[in-house]
Amino acid sequence: MSDKNHPAAQDPASQRLEEALARASSEDGRIRRRRMIGGGIAAVAVVGAASAWGLASRGGADTSASGGTAGGSAAGDAPGSPVSGGTLVYLDAEASRSTQPQGAGTWQDSAYLENIADRLIWKDPATGELQPYIAESWEISSDGLTYTFTIREGVTYSDGTSLDVASVARNLQWQADGDEAKGIQPSIQWPRLDAISTAGSTVAVTLLEPYAEFLDVLSGWAAVLVADATIDAPLESQQQITGIIGSGPFVVESEKYGEKIVFVRRQGYDWAPPSLAHQGEARLERIEVHAVTDDTTRLGTLRSGQADLIRYIQPADELQLAEDPSFQVLSAQGIGATNHWQLRVSIPALQDVRVRQALQIGIDRASLVSDLYTENWAVARSVVTEDAFGFVDLSTQLAHDPAGAAALLDDAGYADVDSEGYRSRDGERLSLITVIDVYDSTAKPLYQLVQSQLKELGIELTLRDADYSQVSEAYAAPDVATVRSGWPYPATWATLRTQWGSEGTDTFSLDGADPILDELLAAQAVATDPAERSALLAELQHHVIENAYVLPLLKDSQIFAAQSDVQDFSWSAEARPLFYTTWLDRP
Amino acid sequence: MRSRYLVTRILQAVLVVAITYLLTYWVLFALPGDPVANRLDNPQNPVPPGQAKAILEYYNLDQPALLQFLITVGRLLQGDLGYSLGTGRAVSDMLLQGLGSTLLLALAALVVAAVIATGVGLLAVFAPWGPVRSLARLVPTLSLATPSFLIGLLLLQIFSYQLGWVSSLDTESLTSLLLPALTLGIAASPSITQVLIQGLTEANGRPFVRVLRSRGLSHRAIAARHVVRNGSIPALTLLALTIADLLAGSVIVESVFHRAGLGYVTEQAVRSQDGPIVLAVVLLVSSLYSLVNLATDLLYPVIDPRISITESRLGAGAPASRSAQPALTEGA
Repeated sequence: MSDKNHPAAQDPASQRLEEALARASSEDGRIRRRRMIGGGIAAVAVVGAASAWGLASRGGADTSASGGTAGGSAAGDAPGSPVSGGTLVYLDAEASRSTQPQGAGTWQDSAYLENIADRLIWKDPATGELQPYIAESWEISSDGLTYTFTIREGVTYSDGTSLDVASVARNLQWQADGDEAKGIQPSIQWPRLDAISTAGSTVAVTLLEPYAEFLDVLSGWAAVLVADATIDAPLESQQQITGIIGSGPFVVESEKYGEKIVFVRRQGYDWAPPSLAHQGEARLERIEVHAVTDDTTRLGTLRSGQADLIRYIQPADELQLAEDPSFQVLSAQGIGATNHWQLRVSIPALQDVRVRQALQIGIDRASLVSDLYTENWAVARSVVTEDAFGFVDLSTQLAHDPAGAAALLDDAGYADVDSEGYRSRDGERLSLITVIDVYDSTAKPLYQLVQSQLKELGIELTLRDADYSQVSEAYAAPDVATVRSGWPYPATWATLRTQWGSEGTDTFSLDGADPILDELLAAQAVATDPAERSALLAELQHHVIENAYVLPLLKDSQIFAAQSDVQDFSWSAEARPLFYTTWLDRP
Repeated sequence: MRSRYLVTRILQAVLVVAITYLLTYWVLFALPGDPVANRLDNPQNPVPPGQAKAILEYYNLDQPALLQFLITVGRLLQGDLGYSLGTGRAVSDMLLQGLGSTLLLALAALVVAAVIATGVGLLAVFAPWGPVRSLARLVPTLSLATPSFLIGLLLLQIFSYQLGWVSSLDTESLTSLLLPALTLGIAASPSITQVLIQGLTEANGRPFVRVLRSRGLSHRAIAARHVVRNGSIPALTLLALTIADLLAGSVIVESVFHRAGLGYVTEQAVRSQDGPIVLAVVLLVSSLYSLVNLATDLLYPVIDPRISITESRLGAGAPASRSAQPALTEGA
């Protein structure tokens, strides 16, 4: 039993976490309750880990595993040559809910889809470059309206039917239109379609207007290619993963609702993206995915050796695992939007751009990461990640400047300070409401820390807890000032346009009051010249950040922990796990 | 007379189920939010209003409440429980999977609870050594005060993670039932144990015990043959009632052991306000309760001849009364 397994009380990072939480907790009674509950569960884990039976350093891994390789692929040290076969036991934090591709909103469902079905286009996770996949090659007409894809020969779905040009054409039409009679929505990011035609081994898609991110759309999970049997089936069948028949490297063998999904290797798979080093069939023979929602149980099962890989661990546990040579911590930050808060201009206090700007520079992003997270997390430098197309570094505009923020608030008329230390104007306190993200279990401490940072500035931020079932109402409530968004997306700017545009969901509640924003969003979407589009996107980023419609905070990280003998675990460009290359370095 | 009583009681039971169903439907409708709305408004992937309309139409969510209710009831009367809004699964399939898993767990837990109650009860009343009796009397309070998720995590920690005797991921084999059943059994045992201790203590103090002792029967024989029989009747009644507690308590235990039983299905459905599942669970549970109540009422006269069913003087429709006063006789 090594000292490493004791609670890391002396660890500086966890000490910082404790201090940050303690600071936040002195402000709000509800926080204390949360900490006690969390502490209770942690105590149980500690009792076990520190007990004489401690098996935490299981297995004979002598090599020290290096965790936290971000980007393309990650693995432990000193791997031998890849071994084919074996079963990987993977614990996800949530169960599959609905795999209907165009509507697959939950993270895990999109991840499963990417492992059982192929797309036309492959997006390189390291560079974001669009590469051949089921489309061997493509040509774009000079007017930017017609895309002609040459389809790879010999590809079949797991039900034996052929993934040919007819099937591709049908899939694309289905993604563009949905199926209204069945309640199946169109793929939200799809451009307006004129016609799809086939000739020989090519499929030609003609759009009504140019659409810069069309190929990105085709690389995402909502663009998975499925067999006719799936398209013909009712919505209810498509919502279950057993109803998705794809051509991917794995096939669904069985599912038990809420408990387990078993994937098996697709025999004869031979159409991986040509740019991957590994080709042919997947290395793993089986993957058992269990839905284990409880953080403690998930971690305990991994530590005891009953699981090979788990998704999502608390930052404090991450630090402990990273020090243990039997395990590796793997993380990836996908390509797309950064995690940000969208401000609603319909809130009276936020109509003044100076107040919004004060929020923008009043938040100390660096300390959010250093106090609450680990080295696998990073501060956002714009509304999109560095590897997203068009990124410009706006960290200067986002730098913490409490004096500047105070001056802006004074200017805006919030010069008086009431008895509780909050600024007010005409007797009205500067007070904002937000709803804690229910989809992310690390959200609460983050919100509490932002709350305490804003309190320093004299801004009151009220945190509202939402019930999972009522989250859409909670977000939509007219008094809510800011809502969180921003994750890796296949078509980043198209997704942000849907969210920000006055014709989309108008998340800034501008109601068309900022025509420049709408114009930039529309112009970048149809700009086919990369240089021109980059310039537009740079302007757009400056516009939303300088007007402080968006408060970028962090880059979203996916954190996994694995046994040290799990090798070549890889990620898609949106940081979904891809098991195709993974193998187990064990006898 | 009997058949008329029977018909009245059955109608009453049906009415109870119908009213429960109606109230649940109304509450679900009145509360904001459902899986479809959440999917459409998901901040990660919001669906623009134009596309959302077609989806709402598919689920009839654009119809007035009354019409939606009539459509649902119409399908129900044809035996169609519908599909889960969030997951697309047939509600009947989900209920069957959940009910099978949970009933098995509840039965196993009931056995555990009965064993614990008997063991602790006997120790608390008949143990020859005072401190053991006092200690045993503490057990129900102690297990009542320990949250079942904590017990579950401790059992997992010891028997699965450390000793490796059982898998923490298996949910299908019989051995996979051991830890959850133990957890749930411990959680359900305190009330039974307490009532058993009380019953045994009371029976032990009754005059017939002294009479038997004066006839020269051994302490052990009196306890085994007479006191336990008399003193355990209330506990047995309670044991039957505990089944309801077990179904309710399974939510937490199923979550710790990630078994997708009825508790899990219900919890997920309530969490996302998945109407068709919530309604079906309410229908199932209220029917079950009404049925058990009905059966109990009808069985009383069969079990205890002193209870008989008579037509009330107040007229038809009023509930029958249990007329006889139980005689205050002692007996073995």
